[in-house]
Amino acid sequence: MSHINPDFADDITKFGAKDFNLCFNCGNCTAVCSLSTNDATFPREMIRYSTLGLEDEIKSSLKPWLCYYCGECSSDCPRQANPGELMMSLRRWLTATYDWTGLSGLLYKHMSVYIGGMIALLAAVVGFIYYSGLSKEVVMHYGHLFEMFAIAGVFAVILLPNIIRMWYFTVIKPKVKAPIKVYFKALSELFVHMFTQKRFLGCEDTKENRTRWLLHFILVLSYLSLLFTTVFLDWFSTSSTFVIWLGYVESAAIFIITTVFMSMRVRKTDAMHKHSQPSDWFFVIWLFLMGITSFAVRLLIDLNLINTLFWVFTIHFTVLVQWALIIVPFGKWTHFLYRSFAMYFERIIGLNNQLKK
Amino acid sequence: MSPLNDDKDSITSSFYLTKQTSFRIAMKQRIGVYICHCGGNISDYVDVEQLSKLIANEDNVVISKDVMFACSDSTQKDMVQDINDQKLDAIVVASCTPKLHTHTFRNVAIRAGLNPYNYTQVNVREQCSWAHSDKPMDATIKAYGLIRAGINRVKYSEALENIEITAQKAVGVIGAGISGMRAAVDLARMGNHVYLIEKEANVGGRVAESGKLFMTGENGKDVIDRLYKRIKEIPEITVFTNANLDKVSGSIGDFTLEVSVKDEALKLNVGAVLVTTGFDFYQPKEGEYGYKLSDNVITLQQFNKLIETSNDKLVYNGNAIKSVAYIYCVGSRQSKGENKYCSRQCCSAAIHSSLNVHEKFSGVKAFHLYRDIRTYGKQELLYTESSRKGDIYIKYEEKEPPAVEVKNNKTVITVKDYLTYKKELSFDVDLVVLVTGMVPRSDSNDISSKLKIPTGSDRFFNEIHPKLKPVETVIKGVYIGGTCQGPKNITESVQSSLAAASKINTILRKGTLELEPIVARVNAETCLWCEKCAAVCEYDAIKPIESNGKMIAQVNTSTCVGCGICGPVCPSNSIEIVQFTDNEIESMIDGFMEKAEINTKQDSQENEISSGKQIKLNGFPKIWREIASALDDKTLTIPQLSEQLGVESNVLTWHLMTMNRYGVVEPAGLDEDEAYYMYKLKK
Repeated sequence: MSHINPDFADDITKFGAKDFNLCFNCGNCTAVCSLSTNDATFPREMIRYSTLGLEDEIKSSLKPWLCYYCGECSSDCPRQANPGELMMSLRRWLTATYDWTGLSGLLYKHMSVYIGGMIALLAAVVGFIYYSGLSKEVVMHYGHLFEMFAIAGVFAVILLPNIIRMWYFTVIKPKVKAPIKVYFKALSELFVHMFTQKRFLGCEDTKENRTRWLLHFILVLSYLSLLFTTVFLDWFSTSSTFVIWLGYVESAAIFIITTVFMSMRVRKTDAMHKHSQPSDWFFVIWLFLMGITSFAVRLLIDLNLINTLFWVFTIHFTVLVQWALIIVPFGKWTHFLYRSFAMYFERIIGLNNQLKK
Repeated sequence: MSPLNDDKDSITSSFYLTKQTSFRIAMKQRIGVYICHCGGNISDYVDVEQLSKLIANEDNVVISKDVMFACSDSTQKDMVQDINDQKLDAIVVASCTPKLHTHTFRNVAIRAGLNPYNYTQVNVREQCSWAHSDKPMDATIKAYGLIRAGINRVKYSEALENIEITAQKAVGVIGAGISGMRAAVDLARMGNHVYLIEKEANVGGRVAESGKLFMTGENGKDVIDRLYKRIKEIPEITVFTNANLDKVSGSIGDFTLEVSVKDEALKLNVGAVLVTTGFDFYQPKEGEYGYKLSDNVITLQQFNKLIETSNDKLVYNGNAIKSVAYIYCVGSRQSKGENKYCSRQCCSAAIHSSLNVHEKFSGVKAFHLYRDIRTYGKQELLYTESSRKGDIYIKYEEKEPPAVEVKNNKTVITVKDYLTYKKELSFDVDLVVLVTGMVPRSDSNDISSKLKIPTGSDRFFNEIHPKLKPVETVIKGVYIGGTCQGPKNITESVQSSLAAASKINTILRKGTLELEPIVARVNAETCLWCEKCAAVCEYDAIKPIESNGKMIAQVNTSTCVGCGICGPVCPSNSIEIVQFTDNEIESMIDGFMEKAEINTKQDSQENEISSGKQIKLNGFPKIWREIASALDDKTLTIPQLSEQLGVESNVLTWHLMTMNRYGVVEPAGLDEDEAYYMYKLKK
């Protein structure tokens, strides 16, 4: 027996959903969706759960993560109920639900908190650089150290517990008792999806979707390798020409692709880019800033101008801190993890069902 | 000048004679027979040409022709010419159903100066060629019999005149709800006096009791007040409230309504009656969705009153209402209950009420437990608006209705939601509103028995035909409008009553009425007034009268519908229906049963097909052999066959279907473009 919560509609609206209550359950969204399966519940089931406010059902579902927002359902909906945007909002809601700190929800729902946090970090970084009396070399060294500790810390304190929570909500609570070997067997799914977004290729085969997939693929690779290049290959201090050029290519790829994505959001070219929320903007703009400022810092180092134009590093460091402490743990960055883990858990559930039969 | 009275006297006298000495009626001597091909519809199966030759030999037949289309202008002109040239005194047309063309050929007769009732139509299409397309020879034999029956009947046909009666230019409107009131205005404006008869103390009926109305947002009471003000300004409308209809007598053009108003008894003379008595709301049974068991379960009507009387806050029994569940189809669409129909207006009414709640009070959650949402037409806007406002729609099925229970002072609803894969949902609400449907009024039996209006299986008053005669009843001069006929919303109710008003005006405006003369007729000499005929007459059309010192039956020709029920019960065979006299019927049987000598061997040669196979298609239409030859060792589509044979594709489709049915051909899958089916010969 499930309990209806009519207030859920108001809640999910704060995460960006709108008009989904207009749905009269015709099933067009399911019919046009290339990812819907034989049970014909995807994505319609999620819309119905949202209308009724069946939070437990949504919380235990991986389905929102299985959608890549190609927008077919929204453009074919006879009621303009915007199913695609609802799925997007559910992903935001789930991100907030998985987050044990509750900060994600706060940031999604209140832009003022988001901006306040960003400003506080800006003040902290500027204060640290200009009032600590440390030399520029030391500051840059600390910047590198921060990057390493932030990654480890955020992962250990926020992301890992959140993924465990996600696992608890979607696998343990629905009583999926999979043996350990299933967890190993499904592991490949996690990495394949994390790096390739393979499932997205199952969406309608259109030029737009192929381009979007390719751009996203390059962006993910560039981002991850830039992370590796700066943290482990110490891009800003290295003397290896190869590493220097590698970093240039990676950071350039990031700011070029994010520029394309931003322009799509501004021009609202497709269903997915029509309804940008603050969290979407922060994510894409900060990723762009990350790319362009790291490119600029390395360029100034190569031109021997970094000491005279040290404010460029200040900006880069500020962006880095904001990225690592707000956007990565509590913002849209997490979709990178949750989506991949959703595929992983889905595979575990599937294999476990096969095993039972 | 009517052409109908050429031998009226001879008919009347001969009628009396037939009963005793029989066959002394003036039999028609010069009959014209026209047999129609119907462009192949008939002639593909019935051997029309042979029949017309055979019929030419029948007694009293002067002309026998087969024609391509009997109903075409040129054939009609030829018929008029024939009647005049050959001095025909009766015609028979063997073609399609009389429903289509009786009046066409009656008019041909009138144009030729012949009485239209000296015409008989024989149906050889629906009853022969279409029904027996598999056995063309048998179809031909049957057609032969039917045509001979028609000829025999027309020999005894009488020249008849339409019955003309005087009409009172006054109308009795029963029920002063919005339908009756609005119709009264129009009837009066068209020059009729209107007696508006209302049982209650006030006019306005259900609309006066409803609050805000959809689309205009007006209050029902205001709409009625405005209409009533207008009625009072029209001197031709007399309104009786607290009035009871005691008795109705008379017939179309001249009804007498006996009405008692308080202690006063009135007799109103009217030409027609419009019944707009309305409906009752379905009253939920005790325990139906918790009705009467819980204080928090009320009907939509009660809820609407609550919305209207509450200010600032929606409060019921001292409790603030923050959530409402509407349960739809209460007392409607019961597959096993009394009310199988959909009440049509309740979905819209409930959603409208929900929107009114949102408009007047804030923060009230609404749950709609429905079976199907039927907010047709502009009312769809209500549904969209309500969805936009966040109302939650839950679909249940009749076999698994929602359960309403009171647990710990809470009204809890449990329901299986069909939109969420039959998930069982439970939630508590402050108020349950039962969206009840419409049922016939509790006093509708009284009205229907006084006016003799038939009722349908749903117990609402019945029209003659839902599409072609939607406001007429089988009782001439009695019309129905509004919800006494079945569930309608206000707009539809007024539309139907206004339709009835204009129908009434068309019959009353001339002051006289013409009725078809096909009615019962009494033989005054043999009738002994045993009352048997009067007892079975459902239309009260037979009354006793004194004639030559004895009592005999008299038929009121304006009330009689010619149903014929009186004929078989008469012990002395003294009553019969014009155009259906014993002479006519008996001679038809004789004609039909006469031995038919038809040449069935005309198509004897077998069709030899090139491959040497023999296809036995004797007695089938010629075109079948052409199709079979074309299909020999080939598979062809209908367009290909059509091109090859030069026959229209729709005609081919028809024949191929029948040939398939009788195992001559069979489908051979789709063609290359998957556009058409191919056919081949069946081995």
